[in-house]
Amino acid sequence: MNKKLKIVLIIIGIGILIGGGTFLYVFFQPHRDVQATKTDFKLETKQIVDEYLKDATAANEKYLQEEGESKVIEVTGIVSEISDDFNQQKVVLLKGMNENAGVSCTFTSETNKNANSLKVGDKVTIKGVIRSGAGYDEDMELYEDVIMEKCDLVKK
Amino acid sequence: MKKIVLSLAVVTLIVTSAFSPIGKLVSKTGHVNFFSHTAIEDITANNYKVVSTLETSTGDIIYSVPMQSFEFAKAKMQQHFNSAKFLDTKQFPKAKFKGTITNLSDIDFGTDGTYTANVTGDLSIHGVSNTVTENATITVSGGQVTVDVVMDITLADYKIAFKKGKPSTNIAKTVKATIKTVYK
Repeated sequence: MNKKLKIVLIIIGIGILIGGGTFLYVFFQPHRDVQATKTDFKLETKQIVDEYLKDATAANEKYLQEEGESKVIEVTGIVSEISDDFNQQKVVLLKGMNENAGVSCTFTSETNKNANSLKVGDKVTIKGVIRSGAGYDEDMELYEDVIMEKCDLVKK
Repeated sequence: MKKIVLSLAVVTLIVTSAFSPIGKLVSKTGHVNFFSHTAIEDITANNYKVVSTLETSTGDIIYSVPMQSFEFAKAKMQQHFNSAKFLDTKQFPKAKFKGTITNLSDIDFGTDGTYTANVTGDLSIHGVSNTVTENATITVSGGQVTVDVVMDITLADYKIAFKKGKPSTNIAKTVKATIKTVYK
């Protein structure tokens, strides 16, 4: 009787540990570390912008993922504008002189310092996660850029 | 004397047109906050990638929000938000509001001050469009225009629903979106 009770208690105990552990794991599951994630595509700014302007549905199918963990991209282009967003993050726009749209790359509080040395006209490669594509918005009458976030400079 | 007055007038005109925000204004610096309150928990997410245009001559105001740019504290919540069961952001990567200020004559974009704008238009989220009317606060300060607006969004109106499980009890039926955009 005592032995049986012990076994039952041990089984219940293990069950609680596994259940609790799984719950805590899911609850505290960290965000994906984009910079530590393997790069899915290496592209020039013009390539990805053109893909979107040609067929946005196909490009979304290729680059966006369900659950928001979309493709990790290294994009190479010319720095055309550097600004700060409301979250004190550096935003580096890579865009060719004669292009309608570019790739807007938002850095993070950890990587901001790497964007400080950049100047307009520099040719750089930036790694980040794509959030949305480029396109012409008829209502706004302007081109929207490809948006990448969690960005950092790729050292050559 | 006439010449001086005339050239002064021209200079004034050039200076005012350079500094007063008239015509189509564009904002790429903004913030959208999503807030859901239930007795069980409060859920919030932030997005700094909203793009907006404001045409001061017609009152047309448009917002475009890339949905995958909403950041949640917990990774699991962010995945739920983006998933096919909720906002399906792979299928519908952007939310959009296309509206008009209906009391445009009450707003003087050329004079510093705070104005209340009545905005009405179509909000499309998750591929579903609804007409919404909200009051926005327009602040003109030193030639810079800022628009603040709060939209109450009833999720069921946009066919966004968790039928069962934790999300169905922990997410409010109506959520609050607070949008701030600064134009130049």
